[in-house]
Amino acid sequence: MTPEQIGLWAGLILSLMIFSYVLGDNFLYRLAIAVFVGLAAGYVTIVTVESVLMPWLNATLLTRESSVGERLLGIAPFILGLLLLVKASPGVGRLGNLALAFLIGVGAAVALVGALTGTLLPLAVSTGRMANLDLINGFLLVLGVISTLLYFHYLGRRLPGGEVRRALAIRFFGAIGEGFIVVALGALYAGAIITGLTIFSERLAFILSRVGGG
Amino acid sequence: MRHLIALLASVIAIVVGLITLLGLLVGDDLGFLSALVDAFRVRSLADVLLQLVMITVGVTILIGILNLLAVHLGRVVGRRRGWVYSLILVLSTLGVFGLTIAERARLVQTSPDSPAPSMVLFETVQVAVESSLAALVLFALVYGGYRLMRRGVTWKGMLFTAVLLVVLLGALPLQGEGLSLIGQVSRWLMAVPVSAGARGILLGIALATVITGVRVLTGQDRSYRE
Repeated sequence: MTPEQIGLWAGLILSLMIFSYVLGDNFLYRLAIAVFVGLAAGYVTIVTVESVLMPWLNATLLTRESSVGERLLGIAPFILGLLLLVKASPGVGRLGNLALAFLIGVGAAVALVGALTGTLLPLAVSTGRMANLDLINGFLLVLGVISTLLYFHYLGRRLPGGEVRRALAIRFFGAIGEGFIVVALGALYAGAIITGLTIFSERLAFILSRVGGG
Repeated sequence: MRHLIALLASVIAIVVGLITLLGLLVGDDLGFLSALVDAFRVRSLADVLLQLVMITVGVTILIGILNLLAVHLGRVVGRRRGWVYSLILVLSTLGVFGLTIAERARLVQTSPDSPAPSMVLFETVQVAVESSLAALVLFALVYGGYRLMRRGVTWKGMLFTAVLLVVLLGALPLQGEGLSLIGQVSRWLMAVPVSAGARGILLGIALATVITGVRVLTGQDRSYRE
């Protein structure tokens, strides 16, 4: 038996163990999940070490030609990681906030640029272009986008009785937006079912081919 | 000391955030701002900051996995509830480590045409389990759809179910006048209302991200100080 054949049989047995969950939570399913998590942890570690950490160490700390500045830069992520690790400690835990602030600062800037150039501008431009296609569908598209955005508008006015109420126009367009959101989520749900069905049929074909000797 | 660390955290978040923002956003055609970014080598600085974040995230992933192994080893040693699963988990991880180290040390001989054993293990076992778990979601989704209106019939529930059925029936590769009409309705739904709703949701998420980013960069959001 070749390693590929052993792997395929192991894959078949683990697939059946996973599908046993349909009958309820059981020992076989949990065993398969433990194998899955263990393997995933192993692969993630290897990819992180070989593709992320080792190239960095080779470029900064482990090169003879690297300067003091480069060596300090090479140590910096490990110090930041250490600071994050001590965050749970009651004594020096506050030092971990410095590393967290660094990650959040850079992360916020990347997220801001990504949202602006990757989503906000392209979607606004393409929605504007699609609105020109034909009158009714273009109108529906623009109405859908604006009313969906208005549905998430939570600012309201406090009435004398203490009740907070949104303006009538916002409530009206918000209700239309809710309808568009329900339609979008319904279609996405159907898409998820179709994807699940495709994967399930592929798994069934795999199981049948292994059992049938294919 | 406490206030000093809090102040330092705010300064770090704002300074590194602004440097990254300028480095990523400012192009060559913004006149004075571009000249300023070039003069202070802000783009190179932003690159270094991004690299530092990536490596730090790598280090934290490693710490997380070591913690996972330590927790499960503790369960095995203490013979606590579910220790058998923990043992299998630890052995699986160590198995991957051992196999990879053996490959790198050339202790495992493979022919040049065949893939490495660790890749075989990944493709045949890991991918098989992932696919099976993804397939299992199908049952949860169908059951969730079936139970949707068990607690009460609402217009939202009815609209959701109607769209769900139209899109599912529209995906069927069947011929017939009725089914062809459903297919057309399904395509229109995807092109107009679904597209509008999805665009609205995505634009909302993007706007919220921009607002949160600006709040962090201007020091109004200081959740990292808690």
